Amino acid sequence: MELNRRKFTNMLIGGGLLGWLASVLYPLFTYLIPPRVEEQSLNSVKAGKVDDFPPNSGKIIKFGRKPVLLIRTETGDFRAFSATCTHLDCIVQYREDTKHIWCACHNGMFDLTGKNIAGPPPRPLMPYGVRVQKNEIIIEKPTNLG
Amino acid sequence: MKIGYTSIFAGLFLGMGVLLAQPQDDEKTSYLQQLVEVDQCVACHIEEEALPEGLHENDIHLREGLSCAGCHGGDPTSDDMDIAMDPARGYIGIPDKQEVPSFCGKCHSDIRFMRRFRPQVETDQEVQYYTSRHGRLLKAGDTKVAVCTDCHTSHAVFPASDPRSSVYPTNVPETCKRCHSDSDYMAEYKIPTDQYEKFAESVHGVALLKKKDVGSPACNDCHGNHGALPPGVTSIGQVCGNCHINNLQYFQKTKMAEEFKKMDLHDCIECHGYHAVPPTNDEMVGVGEQSTCIDCHDEGDEGYKAAVEIRAMLRNLTTAIDSANTLKKQIQIIGMDDLDIEYLLKDAHQQLIHARTVIHTFDPKQVEEKTKTGLDRAKEAIQLALEEIEEYHRRRKGFLFATLFTTLLIIGLFIKLRQIESEQKEDAHRREP
Repeated sequence: MELNRRKFTNMLIGGGLLGWLASVLYPLFTYLIPPRVEEQSLNSVKAGKVDDFPPNSGKIIKFGRKPVLLIRTETGDFRAFSATCTHLDCIVQYREDTKHIWCACHNGMFDLTGKNIAGPPPRPLMPYGVRVQKNEIIIEKPTNLG
Repeated sequence: MKIGYTSIFAGLFLGMGVLLAQPQDDEKTSYLQQLVEVDQCVACHIEEEALPEGLHENDIHLREGLSCAGCHGGDPTSDDMDIAMDPARGYIGIPDKQEVPSFCGKCHSDIRFMRRFRPQVETDQEVQYYTSRHGRLLKAGDTKVAVCTDCHTSHAVFPASDPRSSVYPTNVPETCKRCHSDSDYMAEYKIPTDQYEKFAESVHGVALLKKKDVGSPACNDCHGNHGALPPGVTSIGQVCGNCHINNLQYFQKTKMAEEFKKMDLHDCIECHGYHAVPPTNDEMVGVGEQSTCIDCHDEGDEGYKAAVEIRAMLRNLTTAIDSANTLKKQIQIIGMDDLDIEYLLKDAHQQLIHARTVIHTFDPKQVEEKTKTGLDRAKEAIQLALEEIEEYHRRRKGFLFATLFTTLLIIGLFIKLRQIESEQKEDAHRREP
């Protein structure tokens, strides 16, 4: 009886210790594995290689939960703006024919500085910073500018 | 009778004198009171309490130095009424209504005069006005129609970009309403007078008047302003297409556009109405009670089938988006990561907007291209949301097990301590003599 009680107690301690260790180590190891999604407070994202963007083209890039329009102008410069139209939140696009940013919802137009130049949008598009590092395009949050 | 440039320049000169003499730090001094010192028109009219009704101190003409004589002529330097208001000195007083366009046009149609105030200023308002319904009727002798001062006021004129202006976008409907909603006043023209009421309840009216979205059209955006006319049958689509360009372009390529022309139907307004344009909803497509398709299409015909198909595609997509949105809210409540879900949902919603635009092709295949992409995004969002919810439950269970194991450990340790204490006591008893 005494032996059984001792054995039971040791098992209880051993099992509890193992379980406790597992519950401490599991979140520790899962923390060390890179998360599936980016951090919510993003400061910058990699948009791709320079060669992936031909001159006079635009592409929507995911910046956290926000879409950003990355444009490569005819002269090869990179510019990035919030892709959310300031009128009614539609996603804007780059028009290769007119070389303007265009919102298909209500024919709003922005120039390549993001300024609203035609249609109903009341405000310019928020600019994002763009820098090229070792042939990689990095889009930065507006607060990182200047 | 014509007012001379001498009077205008005299007015401008006096006004400039006031502006220069104006003490910059004395903002409380009324601008009109300052004018009294140099302008006898203002001095007498204040004394006689006969200032024009509605006169605003910040009227653009007044502030640009164009005082009474600048428009009405006369000699503002003389305190003798007979001299000041002598026709020989250019005094013309209040112009007849028929003369108002040329009265204002004397300056506003003169590019050399106007560009000193604003180099890019337009000077074709008077020309445009005489092409308008108002202008043509005025020329024909109808003095009930609107002239410049009816819309812009006489003495409280502000640039159209100034929210105080009677022609600022959010004020335009109210300005037009003054005549166009007066059924007695408008009776002889035999046109409806319920435009304002209908517009105010419309999607455009609510955006403009309630939400103060100046991007939304006011009366003049569809009818023109100085050259105001009802949009003609052939131009209605173009008018709507100013903002709804894709809808127009898709529609113009359809068989239906051609048929509309043949049948003398009026493009967009046949389905959407005009002054009372309601917010669009998916029920307008299909064969339900609110459908506009079944106004022309009967069961069994090609259009009817297309309407059923398109409605089903939209329903599938909106249902998927709604489901994903519900799950997203649930995820936000339980504090899990909704970042990718929200991004996917934005994309799905964008595809829905595109699909709703492509409806104007009346081609189910083209609509399906958009709804399918949107549906894929929404499904991805749902899948991610379910994974997040599963992860949440896994974490909860993990926490439960961790608590259980910790409790077991504590209990085990407690029993072990008791055992050790008990053994120590037994040993002590045994050793006692």
